[in-house]
Amino acid sequence: MTPFALGARNLGRHPFRTLLSILGIAVAAAMLLDMVMLAGGIETSFAKLLGGRGFQVRLSPKGTLPFDSEATIPGASAVLTALRQDPAVAQAGPILGLALHAPRRTAAGADTLVTLFGYGLDPAAQGIYALASGADIALGDTLGVLLSPPAAGRLGARVGDTLVLQGRLDPQVAVSAAERRLVVRGMGEFLYDYRGQPSVALPLPVAQALAGQAGADEVSVVMVRIADDAAVAAATARLRERLPAVQVSSIADLVVQFRARLTYFRQLSLILGSISLAVTVLLVGTLLTITVNERLPEIATLRAIGLSRGHIVAQVVIEGAALTLLGGAAGVALGLVTGQCLDRILTSFPGLPAAVSFFVAEPRSIAVAAATLLAAGTLAGAWPAWLAARAPIAGTLRAEAT
Amino acid sequence: MTAGPVVAARGLVKRYRLAEQDVEALRGVSLDIAAGDYVAICGPSGCGKSTLLQLLGGIDQPTAGDVTIDGVSLAGLGDRALTRLRLTRIGFVFQRFHLLPVLTARENVELPMAEAGVPAAERRQRAHELLAYVGLGAREGHRATQLSGGEMQRVAIARALANRPALVLADEPTGELDAATGRQIMALFRRLHDDGTTLVVVTHDDRLAAEARRVVRMLDGGIAGIEVKC
Repeated sequence: MTPFALGARNLGRHPFRTLLSILGIAVAAAMLLDMVMLAGGIETSFAKLLGGRGFQVRLSPKGTLPFDSEATIPGASAVLTALRQDPAVAQAGPILGLALHAPRRTAAGADTLVTLFGYGLDPAAQGIYALASGADIALGDTLGVLLSPPAAGRLGARVGDTLVLQGRLDPQVAVSAAERRLVVRGMGEFLYDYRGQPSVALPLPVAQALAGQAGADEVSVVMVRIADDAAVAAATARLRERLPAVQVSSIADLVVQFRARLTYFRQLSLILGSISLAVTVLLVGTLLTITVNERLPEIATLRAIGLSRGHIVAQVVIEGAALTLLGGAAGVALGLVTGQCLDRILTSFPGLPAAVSFFVAEPRSIAVAAATLLAAGTLAGAWPAWLAARAPIAGTLRAEAT
Repeated sequence: MTAGPVVAARGLVKRYRLAEQDVEALRGVSLDIAAGDYVAICGPSGCGKSTLLQLLGGIDQPTAGDVTIDGVSLAGLGDRALTRLRLTRIGFVFQRFHLLPVLTARENVELPMAEAGVPAAERRQRAHELLAYVGLGAREGHRATQLSGGEMQRVAIARALANRPALVLADEPTGELDAATGRQIMALFRRLHDDGTTLVVVTHDDRLAAEARRVVRMLDGGIAGIEVKC
């Protein structure tokens, strides 16, 4: 009978107490897992989102992050020419972000304006949407647009419908300076949109015309695909040198910037994760101390009949580890479920891309949480194990007899 | 029987603190126990008989004096060596049995053998034989909690014999049992003695003491007299 088998069986002595402890550890483990997922999850998710369409570099106005302000990159054509001359660059996709408005007649017969987030882009080199239904905007098509499902919903528009899009709206008189009739070619999933964002993608020249920048040759962002992933760092550095007037950022650079903004989340997860670990240690330590104190005469007997201190220590430590293992396993399941619930709440905050997850269940996160918890639970058994192994045999048996 | 004693105690003194009072449990006790002997240690409560048993079994250290088992002085042994000696040379039977409730009768008997490194098949076979010897062959798969007091004590005796000890020490082995069950245990001890086991039994029970070859009468931490049966 090994200490492992004995330790595991000892858990069955008080099933209800063991169950309560396992539940307590499960809650702490779930919290720990959620905090570990939160600590690295949003960063991982953000990096995946940025790289999801294969564009590894972003150009934005100097001193800004992509779509972080309304500033634009002047002389976009020259920038694009410079980019396309670089042998490492496979694609360069300019994007102009702008506010657009579309009139709509309500069911009650009143006219209203729906505000849309417009993306003027080159459909052949774009990394911000994936076609969901209908057709993409073809090369040279200056009449086609793609809508996001929320935009289609608000406008009551379907593939094939004609829309009137207005730019440069004067908010005081509700009159626009530019207007185009465009046809909905298809529906797209816009990767960087927040939940419910009404977006429309349209050819860059049309967007520039609606924005009043037809001759200004300006864009908000340029997404750049580097042919070889291994050459991204070198290409980024080279582009930074060649284009000193714009901000050149690789995904890694953007993740660093993003990380700096998420210090709060990491601190929060560190504090709450530490609390959950402390709860586990206290739970396991308390339970084992009570158990050991109850079993001292039995432990003294085991020592008397020749079981070594090491055997006793191993038995108690294994009890702690087994408790933690069972609680941890339940906690992983619970943590994944609560992580999803919390994620739904956090990603519904306005202004956040819906595709970003705060709680990413990566195997590494789960392994880190499980290993940390198991180490803490095992460590928590050390003190009661020491108490058990050092208990005086004769004194304990004498005390029990009196 | 061998020429020398299996256990030799010389000038054993034991003092300890109990409830903030100094207690002198033993005052210079000397005793030899030969191989195959059956010794009962009797006396009123608090006379030091259990303390003597604990010193003889190496589970407590004397304040003065020494115990030797098979010629080996316990005074010079560290915890690891003493533990090993208890495992391989001494069998213990306690008043309250102290079987592990989570184990079956057979697993309880196997426990000291497993600790001594006896191969699984061999210890299973020996546990089976020992349980049959104490009359519990049919109950070896029962958990300790499913056994009666007398059955638990018989399992404890089988456990004490597991590693073929030179000496079996029993502390009030019938103390928790009714008269009829106590008689079964006495009969088992008689059988152990007849089969050559060296036995030292601490008891209040005169009937159990009467089974022994020698009765050591203790009073106030000392030996008041030794009765030897012819």
